[in-house]
Amino acid sequence: MKVEPRLYKRVFVWSWALRLFHWTFAFATAALIITGLYIHNPPVTTTWDEFRPSFLMATLRYYHFVAAYFFIAAVILRTYLLFFGNKYERAKDFLPVNRENIQSLWRSLKFYLYITDEHEWRVGHTVLAGVMYSIIFFSALIMIVTGLYLLYPDVTIIKKIGNFFFGTVQMARFIHYLFHWIFIFFVLAHIYIAIWNDFKASEAIISGVFSGSKFLPADVVEKEIKKEAPYI
Amino acid sequence: MEGFGRLNRRDFLKICTMVTATMGLPHAFVDRVYAAVKAKQKPTVIWLNFMECTGCTETLLRSSHPPLGRFLLDIVNLEYHETIMAGAGAQAEEALNKAIKTYKGEYILVVEGAVSTKDGGIYCQIGGKPAIKILKEVAKDAKLVIAYGTCATFGGIQAAAPNPTGAVGVSEVIGTSKLINVSGCPPNPYNLLATVAYILTFNRPPELDDYRRPRFAYGRRIHDHCERRPHFDEGRFVESFGDDGHKKGYCLYKVGCKGPVTFANCMTIKFCDIGAWPIGAGHPCLGCTEPYFWDRMTPFYEHLPKVTIPVGEGIIADAEKIGSYAIAGAGIAIGAHAAAGLVKRWVKGKKSSETTIETEEKEG
Repeated sequence: MKVEPRLYKRVFVWSWALRLFHWTFAFATAALIITGLYIHNPPVTTTWDEFRPSFLMATLRYYHFVAAYFFIAAVILRTYLLFFGNKYERAKDFLPVNRENIQSLWRSLKFYLYITDEHEWRVGHTVLAGVMYSIIFFSALIMIVTGLYLLYPDVTIIKKIGNFFFGTVQMARFIHYLFHWIFIFFVLAHIYIAIWNDFKASEAIISGVFSGSKFLPADVVEKEIKKEAPYI
Repeated sequence: MEGFGRLNRRDFLKICTMVTATMGLPHAFVDRVYAAVKAKQKPTVIWLNFMECTGCTETLLRSSHPPLGRFLLDIVNLEYHETIMAGAGAQAEEALNKAIKTYKGEYILVVEGAVSTKDGGIYCQIGGKPAIKILKEVAKDAKLVIAYGTCATFGGIQAAAPNPTGAVGVSEVIGTSKLINVSGCPPNPYNLLATVAYILTFNRPPELDDYRRPRFAYGRRIHDHCERRPHFDEGRFVESFGDDGHKKGYCLYKVGCKGPVTFANCMTIKFCDIGAWPIGAGHPCLGCTEPYFWDRMTPFYEHLPKVTIPVGEGIIADAEKIGSYAIAGAGIAIGAHAAAGLVKRWVKGKKSSETTIETEEKEG
């Protein structure tokens, strides 16, 4: 197989705000899943004979709520960036809302299914990733509303919203539990795909989420500059 | 037998105090409540029983220390109540019609039990008349309607899936404009007495929540005031009934207690003459004051309802099991994806990234 010689260029893509969002969201999600699994079905029963307080459930619930507030903050930040972030952070860039993006989505799908060897070079998210992130974004909103409804069922505004969407607190609790599986899948798939991508394409996306820069073939970057991207 | 049915002053005051406490009012209000319920002008009450077990009436009548049923009879003028009235048949019908005409627009209607709506409501008939018709007739001229018990408020067990008789709560038949719901299975009799006493004392209905239940009774979460809450915070749980933790009085969270999602005042006011209540007796809360609890709180001894899968016929699975299968599925998918990549590479030989680097080196 003949491969064209390619020159790579370092491109700054992810602003500090997006990286801050990513890591806040990542650590909050990890903490929420671990503490949430304990709260759902506490496997350890601390014993009476200890005669000293461990407050295991109370402590883990406390961590769960603290992580939840970080999670909410991260989602608020991401919502802001969807509209006011740089070109690649805005919703329009990575959602299949135009012809070009739909074709790009199709090409990435083929690449992920090993049908083609052509990596879909994109400065921002691939459209496939964009679709996945949208699912997670809406799941996160559902988790936030159900979670707040569970924590503050007496607060009038939260009660009105929770009651309207989910009915009783028990239903909210059920939905809160079912949707947490989506986050577990996402963590598994996201980490796998990130590593897999690093094997397949020399984008350096893993280090990119620390540094904010990606490596892209020079011709891809040229094309992007012609489109007058403001942040390259 | 003289004086058998009489309520002495001591008991009367005792109940007034309890009722005032139920309303969440300070002790200074006892005199006001006492004066209001002792007034000469007693409100007329018509009590209708529909599809139910009469447990709501029983829980009121069976309390003897102090006798709450007597108290209710002392403060209201009960014109019609099928369970405790002496009349029967045409006599009873006549009493009801007479009461509606005489006290038009003034009486309080208490409804116990769900109403059937399917096929014109023929599944519950009294005197040859469908319950839904009786309810509409009597409620039309009522000043206030109190739905007493979960059947009357949300339909109760009759309304549980598949609901063959089309049972509904009172609110779905007559609307909510003059309705107060006192839910529970059975509801605490003090909540009914306090609601009535509140109306008599302040001449207006108490503050209601979204399900039209008085906030003084249904505004607090059982879990937050539970006597076993310290065990929950500590992480001490009953694993199964009769185990060591159960004997020691640990938290019932893991055997399906619905206290964290149920709003009522059982944990402070308690039941019967001796102050017993389910969690105090070692049984998890079933969430009986919440809407449609037969469908949503079941299985009673599990934390969450099962997942009903809409495809196929009645596939019901554990939420936890579905989750673990899905996680395993994701793991297998990831493994398969990685393996497919390796196989493809083995079949086609090395290429892409590595080749790119080589060519780059040549260029450099």
